[in-house]
Amino acid sequence: MTVRLVFLGKFGDVAPMAEIALPDGVRTLNDLKAWVARQQPQLGAAMEATRTRLIVNQCVAHDLSAPVSDGDEVAFLPPMSGG
Amino acid sequence: MRVRIAPEAFDPQAEIAAFTHLRDDAGALASFVGYCRASTDGVAVNELRIDHYPGFSEKEIARLAEETARRFDCPDLLVIHRVGVIRPGEAIVLVAALSVHRASAFDAVRILMDYLKTDAPLWKKETGPGGTRWIEPRPEDHARRLEAEKGWT
Repeated sequence: MTVRLVFLGKFGDVAPMAEIALPDGVRTLNDLKAWVARQQPQLGAAMEATRTRLIVNQCVAHDLSAPVSDGDEVAFLPPMSGG
Repeated sequence: MRVRIAPEAFDPQAEIAAFTHLRDDAGALASFVGYCRASTDGVAVNELRIDHYPGFSEKEIARLAEETARRFDCPDLLVIHRVGVIRPGEAIVLVAALSVHRASAFDAVRILMDYLKTDAPLWKKETGPGGTRWIEPRPEDHARRLEAEKGWT
């Protein structure tokens, strides 16, 4: 079971995009976020320090207790700055 | 509704002219162009880089534009937003609204810009003599965004 991780904005400075085999024990988006933070403590700190939004298969994830599925693309978004 | 992510420089005046000629049932056109500054708070800006999330950024900007068009009853809206490396003097964003009357055209452009500042999935990074820094919305951007929310139906 693989998941594609995408890190945008300043998160992308810390972690590259990655295709990973879903680690043992990671079932939900919350689990995945915590796993990413453990793998990349600098990114974990950056996500902790700001508002982080998760986008799953190009749709905003409102419920981080939702399960992660095979083939999902999960993007981690820091606060946006358009205009 | 025309929404475009532009990886290359664009000519706002030419875009506005082409957009204006698209319809003859609108009596008003309002537009806003945001440019890359040569300095921020007295510190030089050498370049600005804007990252986007392909697919999602376009979809979200289109959603904001559609909501704005509905709210202000605009027959058409144009949004062009640069991504990639932008030099001082180049246009970053163009928003234009066609409407029957001026008030809704002005309002649509202002409110959509307020939304783009905080809700468009884009990330700005400024490079100057002191290095690079990511830009996040300022408190006044969030305040304007909240203000824009009022009366949203």
